[in-house]
Amino acid sequence: MADKIFEIQTVCCQELEKCDCLQALQDLRVRYLGKSGELTALLKSIKDLAQEERPAFGNKVNELRKLLETLFANKTTALKCSEMQRKLQQEKVDISLTTMQPRGALHPVTLVEKTICDLLIAMGFEVLSGPEVETDYYNFQALNIPADHPARDMQDTFYIAEGILLRTQTSCMQARHMEKKQPPIKMICPGKVYRSDSDASHSPVFHQIEGLVVDENITLCDLKGTLQYLASHLFGEDTQVRFRPSYFPFTEPSVEVDLTCSNCHGKGCSLCKGTGWIEVLGAGMVNPVVLENCGIDSTKYTGYAFGLGVERIAMIKYGIPDIRLFYENDVRFLKQFGK
Amino acid sequence: MKLPLSWLKDYVDITESIDVLCKKMVDIGLEIEELVYLGENVTNVKVCQIVEIAQHPNAERLLCCKVDIGEQIIPIVTNDHHVQVGDKVPVALHGATLANGLQIKKGKMRGEESWGMFCGPEELGVTKDMYPNADVDGVLVLLPTAVVGEDIRKEVGIDDYILDVGITANRQDCNSVLGLAREVAVALGKECKEPDVSYTECQVPTRDLVTAEVQDFDVCPSYFMQGVVDVKIEKSPLWMTSRLAKVGLHGINNLVDITNYVLYEIGQPMHAFDQADVSDKTIIVRRAKDGETIVPLDGKEYTLTNEDLVIADKSRAVGLAGVMGGANSGIKDSTTCVLFESATFARGNIRRTSRRLGLRSDSAARFEKGIECATNILGLNRALHLVEQLGAGRVAKGAYCLGKMPETKTIVFEQSRIAKLLGITIEEQRIVSILQSLNIQTSIENGVVTCIVPPYRDDISRDCDIIEELIRVYGYDNISGTLMENSHITSGGKTSDDTLVDKAREVLNGMRYNECIFYPFGGKALFEKASLEPIDESAYIKLLNPIGEELSMMNRSLAPNMLQCASLNLSRKNSHLKLFEVGKVYLSDVLPLVELPEEQKRISICATDTTFDCFRDDVLQVLYAFCDKATLQRSAQSILHPGISADIVVDGEIVGFFGKIHPQIAENFNIETSCFYAELNFDLLKTKVRGAIKYQPIAKYPSITRDFAFVADEDVPAQGILDVFLALPLVEDAQLFDVYRGEQLCAGKKSLAISVVFRDLNKTLQDSDIEKQVAKALKNIQEKFGACLR
Repeated sequence: MADKIFEIQTVCCQELEKCDCLQALQDLRVRYLGKSGELTALLKSIKDLAQEERPAFGNKVNELRKLLETLFANKTTALKCSEMQRKLQQEKVDISLTTMQPRGALHPVTLVEKTICDLLIAMGFEVLSGPEVETDYYNFQALNIPADHPARDMQDTFYIAEGILLRTQTSCMQARHMEKKQPPIKMICPGKVYRSDSDASHSPVFHQIEGLVVDENITLCDLKGTLQYLASHLFGEDTQVRFRPSYFPFTEPSVEVDLTCSNCHGKGCSLCKGTGWIEVLGAGMVNPVVLENCGIDSTKYTGYAFGLGVERIAMIKYGIPDIRLFYENDVRFLKQFGK
Repeated sequence: MKLPLSWLKDYVDITESIDVLCKKMVDIGLEIEELVYLGENVTNVKVCQIVEIAQHPNAERLLCCKVDIGEQIIPIVTNDHHVQVGDKVPVALHGATLANGLQIKKGKMRGEESWGMFCGPEELGVTKDMYPNADVDGVLVLLPTAVVGEDIRKEVGIDDYILDVGITANRQDCNSVLGLAREVAVALGKECKEPDVSYTECQVPTRDLVTAEVQDFDVCPSYFMQGVVDVKIEKSPLWMTSRLAKVGLHGINNLVDITNYVLYEIGQPMHAFDQADVSDKTIIVRRAKDGETIVPLDGKEYTLTNEDLVIADKSRAVGLAGVMGGANSGIKDSTTCVLFESATFARGNIRRTSRRLGLRSDSAARFEKGIECATNILGLNRALHLVEQLGAGRVAKGAYCLGKMPETKTIVFEQSRIAKLLGITIEEQRIVSILQSLNIQTSIENGVVTCIVPPYRDDISRDCDIIEELIRVYGYDNISGTLMENSHITSGGKTSDDTLVDKAREVLNGMRYNECIFYPFGGKALFEKASLEPIDESAYIKLLNPIGEELSMMNRSLAPNMLQCASLNLSRKNSHLKLFEVGKVYLSDVLPLVELPEEQKRISICATDTTFDCFRDDVLQVLYAFCDKATLQRSAQSILHPGISADIVVDGEIVGFFGKIHPQIAENFNIETSCFYAELNFDLLKTKVRGAIKYQPIAKYPSITRDFAFVADEDVPAQGILDVFLALPLVEDAQLFDVYRGEQLCAGKKSLAISVVFRDLNKTLQDSDIEKQVAKALKNIQEKFGACLR
């Protein structure tokens, strides 16, 4: 009988060795270890043995069962492993095969507006919006530009009706906001503005962002610092800010703000006409007349205001040569800003 | 303002290079818009003297000259037979360039050496206003005083720069050579000379020549008039016409030229009346009568109103004050007695008159910006001085000085105000010296600054104006950047509207839609392309002064611009468009506007080369950025295909619509591919926004899913059947997963495959629990839609 055990072990091991798939392995396992398998048959043959030989024989068969179970388990693992390897080698995709399109883009005006607003929100500015069809009062009079003031010639205005016009500047929101709120005020107002003007660098519709701060202890240095912060984030750390004297009826002092040319870094190039500087916006300290018009104590509070042209910033930042591209909306233009 | 450097030098001693000068001017706020060197194109042209003239051996019409150019004698061949031995003429030498772009080279003419070319006035860019006889058609013979060998630019006066200076609207006082000279002197730290206004009066009193009267001082606050007798009308001297030429004016005669000269030099628009034409020897400044007519210098008749200001004699208006003189009271060759008027007219009136009549003039432009009465006096005196200097007549005794006299202003403020506004402190001594250099008499005592402002500085009225003067001279580069360290901390942020718009943009970008921005206005032609019927123009808000008809009406829909954009892109072979805009429409019940209109924010979405189903899902995806529960109903929007379009209803209100563009409108825009459009009313949608997120427990018990296939008529809406299921208490979800039409069904029928999920939150469902509900639903569907299980 011991021979029989040995024979089963030997044959089973040989067959295990030859076995090359999980199904065959399963069949083999049933054949040897199944309910009516060879080992069960072997154990049943115990009745043919003498009473005293039976325990030893039973032990040997059980040992063989344990051994075979281990061998089967190992073989299963090995086969699974090689099967997976085979599968892994077979399964292959063409990784270049894609119909993916990049996500859509924000309009460059929105992109610049968002960048600037986010920077200023972090400094405590609230973002407001106001009407585009505006009264003469908020667009001009409240801003110290009475009727027949020569400064009205600075902006060609579209009129709608008596005392109603398309706002020429987002500065209207200065007065609208200050009428409602006492300092401290930190606000920005992005939006469309309208001027009767049209060529490669002027569009009858364009976008401005107005900034206004009114509080105690606000100085011209704060204006410069804020613009410096904006400029360095928009155009790079090394960007310098320069003030030049200018005139706006609603600020005093008033300045034109130049930045070092982002193209040549101040060395002088065709973009900046060799000067190294690019004019980007107008700004100044809020004229006390405007504060007083809005019921704010001009002896206690000072403030600064700035108004920047969004397209102008975008043109410089992205190198866009013609403002009309913004309003043509050719998708080959639009898609460039989704990156 | 055109400023010849040579004229400026009359008032300021300038030794700096032109570049330094320009930079210093920019630094104090005078923008240099253009800098022109008059002789820029004229190079290597010299004064030469002709020493010998001989007939050209091979050409009858040519002469061979020998000319002295200083260091040598050179041969020049010319065709001008007027030149004579001893004449000094301009000669362009080898390598020379001329005003007309011509380049000169040494060469042979018909076998004879010619080392250059004699020049005429045109080749040098010189006119008769700038050099004697410079109207000749041929070689310009120079004055005997010309220096042989000298650069021609010096001789003919084109060795000069013209600075075109941009002047801000508040600095009318800088609109003159003198005004700019005052600023340049400050910029360079030099003195500015005062103009010479000396003259001697004769015995004839101005009062005998004219009676001047101002009736309306509110519109003519100051009026000065003085006579000149024994006038001799003749040509002005070259130095005067040459200067006028450089600012773009032609010489006319000595008296007119003097008024123009004073206009540019002092900034005072003046008028010279021929005294003989002033009837009754009376000049009255008054408002026009309504309906009164006038024929000014341009010869056209204008009808006036009470808003306009006229210069009149007893019977009629002879000139439009400050805008244009009368046709018959101007200076003529026969004029012997002249009345100079130097006045201030209210800028508003001048502006309105000039605009309304469409009459633009140099003097109107200046009066509109404001002229100070100090300038009236200076201008008048300067003109009288020039009359005497030119020997153009004798100055009559005394002047009419009507109205206001020049006043200085005193401004007092605390010195601490300077640091409060600027954020930097400036030394007391420096404050005083800067302001003094601007002719602002300044003293500081016990921290109080007292400034006396000269009358010509109308723009300075309070402390901040003085502080601006201070810092622009002190230099803005001295301002350092700080970040509001001494102010209150505020909490910034976006409005909830902006946050919602950003969310919608984010969703659209994610679905590959690109954002567009359009002009919010358009024209009738465009709007009618996007409409099946003629539009009702009276419903639109219109611009009174549009650039053109095509940009004259404010949007009432975002569709026209979007469809035009789709059309443009398609015409450029851009396909599979996915576009959106966040825009506004402008609505008002009352037109023309008496109050501000409603500006309604909307989102328009457009896609081409897609299907209704894909587009609907995109639109609904945007909608879900706002709210969950939207139902669709057939749309009546006329721009959409009636069978392939839907309105979106939330809480019983239509918040938007979408669908395929009506084929007629697609044709109007030349859109040949499938094109879908949606417009959402953002302002309405934002009121439907879902509340704050609140956690719902996840169901513990399993669900049962049942699939059904219904055969229904084509026009049965799938959503109707889904809604029947969704109304059942145990139904968690019901989705359409397939639609079949084909051979196995009768014509006009479709099969809808629906998957329904049942769940009880409190126990595990058994099939028996749902049988009744399913039976009820099937009955309901059968009754309502005539649809049965397949």
